[in-house]
Amino acid sequence: MVGNDIIDLNEASRASNWQRPRFLDKLFSEQEQAYINSAENAFKMVWRLWSMKEASYKLYTQIAPIRFYNPKAFQCTINKDLGTVKYKNFYCFVQSKITSNYIISEARLKKQKLNSEIIEFVSLGYSRQSDELKAKLIDSLGSKFRLEKNVFDVPILSNGKELFHVSLSHHGRYGSYVRA
Amino acid sequence: MNKEELIAKLKTIIAPYIQDEKAFKNLSEDTDFVKDLKINSANLVDIILDIEDEFNIRLENEDMEKMLDVKSAMSIVTSKLAD
Repeated sequence: MVGNDIIDLNEASRASNWQRPRFLDKLFSEQEQAYINSAENAFKMVWRLWSMKEASYKLYTQIAPIRFYNPKAFQCTINKDLGTVKYKNFYCFVQSKITSNYIISEARLKKQKLNSEIIEFVSLGYSRQSDELKAKLIDSLGSKFRLEKNVFDVPILSNGKELFHVSLSHHGRYGSYVRA
Repeated sequence: MNKEELIAKLKTIIAPYIQDEKAFKNLSEDTDFVKDLKINSANLVDIILDIEDEFNIRLENEDMEKMLDVKSAMSIVTSKLAD
């Protein structure tokens, strides 16, 4: 099982304003806000923590069939590139990579190095980019694979015999996929 | 405020964040913010903050948990306004 999340930093600064009133309080614990306040680059810390929460939520929903929106309850701690996220009794490891263009986070139940493929989209528009991402994933696996989504919006790969967990993420001009 | 007025207000609030025009045009109570409108989950918090500002209410984490579609947004706003 795996959950990943990519943040296009350009898109994040265009489409979100982390400095708007109450934004941080809605999403981040006191501990996480302390990370943000003491970070060299607060903007990147906000989005790193956000991507950790998202990646962990995607992993969690592969275990627990449920949909909800409570990012604040996914509590992050970080130590260099590795982070951990806790939600109720659920606990996972999140590896993040931060470049000048994007942040990618990948959540696993066991410590593992980052495995997500990153795609810079050629096509324009959300729906075409989404198709491009799925096509790249299928290309990497072979045409007998099909990508499906369950009612909880959790993606699953099928080759006709077996099912495999997979995680896809799309933000701005970047996409990413990873197989469990 | 009746149902139609509430939907109209919510529609104005979510318009800047949608990534699927067709689903937005056909918006109904059953429209899902993420599955149908393809709203980025990072922008769900903006919708929540915009709703708070527009209706002069405050949403708790428990309210936010359910904020995944138009129907639940309507019921949360309605119950907060009645408080």
